Parts: sequence; structure tokens; C-alpha cells
Amino acid sequence: MHLQRLQLFSFKNHTEAHFAFCSQLNCITGPNGSGKTNVLDAVYYLANAKSYFNPADSQIMQHGSSFFSVHGWFADGDKEDEILATFTDKGKKTLKKNDKTYNRLADHIGMIQTVFITPYDISLVLEGSEERRRFMDFTLCQTNREYLEVLSTYKRILEHRNSFLKKMEGRNPDPDIMDSYDSRLVPAANRIFGWRQDFISEFQPWFQEYYGWLCQTTETVALDYESELITEAYSDILRRNLDRDRVLQRTSSGIHKDDLVFSLQGQPLKKFGSQGQIKSFVIALKLAQYRYFLEKTGHKPILLLDDIFEKIDALRAGKLMELVARDFFGQIIITDTHAERVKNHLKSLDTEQVFFELGG
Amino acid sequence: MQFTSAIVENAVDALSGFPGIGRRTALRLVMHLMNRPEAEVVRLADAVLKLKTELQLCSICGNVSDSGLCTVCANPMRNQKQICVVEDFSDQMAIEATSQYGGVYHVLGGLISPMDGVGPEELNISTLISRAAQEGTDEIIMAFSATVEGDTTMFYLARKLRDMPVKITCISRGISVGGEIEYADEITLGRSLANRTEYKV
Ligand SMILES: Nc1ncnc2c1ncn2[C@@H]1O[C@H](COP(=O)(O)OP(=O)(O)OP(=O)(O)O)[C@@H](O)[C@H]1O
Ligand SMILES: [Mg+2]
Ligand SMILES: [Zn+2]
Repeated sequence: MHLQRLQLFSFKNHTEAHFAFCSQLNCITGPNGSGKTNVLDAVYYLANAKSYFNPADSQIMQHGSSFFSVHGWFADGDKEDEILATFTDKGKKTLKKNDKTYNRLADHIGMIQTVFITPYDISLVLEGSEERRRFMDFTLCQTNREYLEVLSTYKRILEHRNSFLKKMEGRNPDPDIMDSYDSRLVPAANRIFGWRQDFISEFQPWFQEYYGWLCQTTETVALDYESELITEAYSDILRRNLDRDRVLQRTSSGIHKDDLVFSLQGQPLKKFGSQGQIKSFVIALKLAQYRYFLEKTGHKPILLLDDIFEKIDALRAGKLMELVARDFFGQIIITDTHAERVKNHLKSLDTEQVFFELGG
Repeated sequence: MQFTSAIVENAVDALSGFPGIGRRTALRLVMHLMNRPEAEVVRLADAVLKLKTELQLCSICGNVSDSGLCTVCANPMRNQKQICVVEDFSDQMAIEATSQYGGVYHVLGGLISPMDGVGPEELNISTLISRAAQEGTDEIIMAFSATVEGDTTMFYLARKLRDMPVKITCISRGISVGGEIEYADEITLGRSLANRTEYKV
């Protein structure tokens, strides 16, 4: 699957823009603020019906405009699919595939996979556990339809359970209502837990392989899935924590507290990793995500590389491009401020290449 | 909106904010009412007022009624042994419209939803429990939308009715997840009623 054409209207700084991409390497260059990252975000938007950066669609709409649209034409062998996303200032968002409107945006998820590597990814390491859960959830949702369903069921029931605890204001909750929530929360949590466990064990070796390749090192890196459900049955945890939940007026345990612990040479990455090691770590995570999508769906995701040469030294950048050009990588869209620098990095690669220059 | 008459403005204010009605639509309704004969408008005002002054809830099932006893409970042909529990009277009407049901109803007046401030105390549950305990009641059918609220209420009621000698069933959840009973078509709803299963907790 690759994106042949992309058309933007009022998408952030792009009043009107049109790109004809090739199926292999595409480079977008231009000065700071010219809208390079925004183009990658638009591609991400087509795949995920939301921006990678902006939680609210209203932030994407060009200032002063009353709508925006992202229109993409995808090709997969002989098959062509047209995806159109539109949003108006009335808050109305629609997503169409081949002129047919989706009833639920969720039905679109999984059709097009993207792997987005951006300078913001270090938040995976630096920020709280929510970022890392989001990474796991995103990766799993793309390849497992049921995961998305069960996770949203879990979140809905959790929301009810929490408001119920809040409504009780610390008083003893009616056990029949608590059991009603817990009897549905527990099986949902167990399924998510199982999927996350399987995911990490499958994902880990790919991640380690890419980190080793990228850094040409034998340093050991690891991902450890941390969940209270590893050592105790969730139903028991809920029972044990009932008093605490009552006092806190929210559910203090469950898969919404899971984390993914990153380590380097057996030490916490966030504390002991150098800046370069942290950057390489997150790039390896994303490359493993690419591999995961490829293995699960049999399709090559679209790889979006934002400012990749800013972030890492020449050796690692060279290794990355070597890997990227090895035949299993499909369509790539890459951005850089310096046209000369990318051209240098890419000149030895024997792939189709198209360059776009954005104005200031 | 700038009005030259406070009377018109009040009427617009009163109508806007109804489900699906914004200020623009409210204004159109007001203009329409102004152009109708007075008798018709009085009839409308009277109909609206009666919803508050004369409408009663059936003392048995909690459904809307004019006399304190609804037409279903007052009908000797209905099977009093079967009680179908519903969220509100629009769901009751949806089930009635299937023509598949000959029993009586019980209207809760909502579903357990702490986000909306609705707990069991706010619902018509205690009379259901005494009805279930009454001799002659065979079956309690729970017919709720397939939502978190519906599922919570179902589990809760089944717990409260657990020790009573009645069979507790629920309509089959053929209605898709999140499906609301009042929007299900009659055939689908009739089928889920016929395919009801025993509900155990
Ligand atoms: N809703 C919006 N309306 C108009 N302009 C916007 C909107 N959102 C973002 N922008 C503008 O888009 C520009 C940033 O674009 P983008 O991040 O894609 O630039 P870039 O080319 O990637 O820059 P850099 O090289 O610094 O990474 C900023 O100037 C920002 O003000
Ligand atoms: Mg950028
Ligand atoms: Zn009645």
C-alpha cells in the first residue's frame, strides 16, 4: 500500500497543497516552519483519522478558515482507494472511503498503517506511563480489531465505576453495583493483559535487533511489561483495593496503570541513557513497530521520517538509511531542512527518489 | 437575536434548548404558533400543561397513565405472571409494537448511570421487588439497551431478585452493541424477545 497523491486544503499552514509521491523514497525539504512536519501529519491523519500531534481537529484547521480537508489516493497492486477526511468549524468530521462515509471512524483503523518517527518521540521515554501505554495500544489496535473494541469497553466501564465511586463520596458502595462493574471489567482487563503480554514477547526481539543494528553495539536493551495482573488475579486485586478505591473515589488498579519499562544495560534508560542512546532507543522502537505491522498484516506500512538527520549522528543515520533501503521497507516520506544533506545521505541508495521543496 | 418584543423572546427562550431545537428553530416554531388560530394554541398549551398537572404514574408498573392505573395493568387479558422491565415508556411502546408480548410491564424511569447522577435509589426498583415477591409472578424479563448502563442495571436487578422464586430472563442482545431498544425495528426486537435467555449472576 502506498500513497500516490495527497491533496490538502486549509490543513495547518497549507492553504492548498498537492503532492504526487513515488512508491519508494520521497523527500520534503524546506526551511523551519515551511510545513514539512505538517505534510507527514496529514498522511498520518488519513491513516488514523486524527493528528499525531493535535488532539483537537479545530487546531488543525488553518487559522481563519472554516474547514479543512485531507484527500489521499492509495494504491495496493492494482487496487486503488481514495480516502477523504473533512472537518468543519461546526465540529463536524467525516471520513470517506471511495465516496462512502464511514459510520464509525474506528472502522477505518487498520486499513492503512503508518510508522511515524519524529523528534517528539522521546516523550515515550521522558513522560509518564500513559505515553507508553498509548504506544502499545496504538500498535495493537492497528492489527487486532478486537483489541480496540475490548479496550474501549474497558474504558467505558471504568468510567462508570469511577463516577459511581465519586457519587458515593467515600461511603460504602453497594456491593451489587460494584460486582456489576467488576464482573465486566475483569474479563476485559484479562484479555487486554494477555494481548499486551503476547505483544511484548513478540516485539522485543525485533526491537533488540534494530537497536543493535542502529548503534552497532552489543549493549543490552530491554522492554519490560509491568502490570499488577502479572502477580495477582485482577478480581483479587479489585477486592483487596476496594477500601482504597472507596477513599480515593476512583479505581486505583488495573490495566490502565500498566507500563512498559525501558532499560539499557539493566539500568533505567530515562536515568542512565545518553541523549543519543535515548534517541536510538525510540527509533528502534518505531522500526520494530514497522516490523510488527509488516509481520501481522503482510503489508508494508508507510514510513514517515521527520527530521531524521537532525537527530542522530552520521554513523547511525547511515545505518538507518541502509536498513530502510533494504528491500522490506516500502514507501518512505522523509523531511529535512537541508536539501543537500538528504541528497548526500540518499545518493548511494538504489531506489526511486522524488524531491519536494517547500517555500518559507 | 435582537427582539422588539419580550413576549416573543420569552417564547423563543422557552422552546430553545428542547432536544434538537436551537434558537433558530425555536423562532420558526414561535412564528408558526403566532399564525395559528387561538383555539388551536390553547389546545396545545392545555396538552402541555396536562403533562404536569394531570399525568400520573401507574401505581403498579410506573408507566404513564391518566388514572393511576395504566391501560396495560388495567387490562384483564394481560398475563400478570410475566413482567417485562424497561427503562422508560418509549421502550415499553417499542416492545408493545412488536405484538409479541402479552404480559405486563415495569417501568424503571431510567438506568443506573452514575455519570448522570442516577443510582438505584432514583429508579422505580423497590416496587419491582415487591411485585416479584408476589405470589403468581413467574418471570421477570429484562429488556434494556445493550449499553454499559443497561448491563449494569440488569446485573444489579438480577442480584436483588436472586433469592425470589421467579425466573429471570433477558432479551437476546442481537441488537448491536450500544443498540438502543427504541431504535430497533419491530422484527428484530420481537425476535430478541422470543429468543430471550435465562440470566444468572
Ligand atoms: N492551524 C494552523 N493554521 C495555520 N498555521 C498553522 C496551524 N498549525 C500550525 N501552523 C503553522 O505551521 C508551521 C509549522 O509547520 P511544520 O511544523 O510542519 O514546519 P516544519 O517545516 O516541519 O518546520 P521545522 O523545520 O522547524 O520542523 C508553523 O509556522 C505553524 O505556525
Ligand atoms: Mg518539522
Ligand atoms: Zn401499569
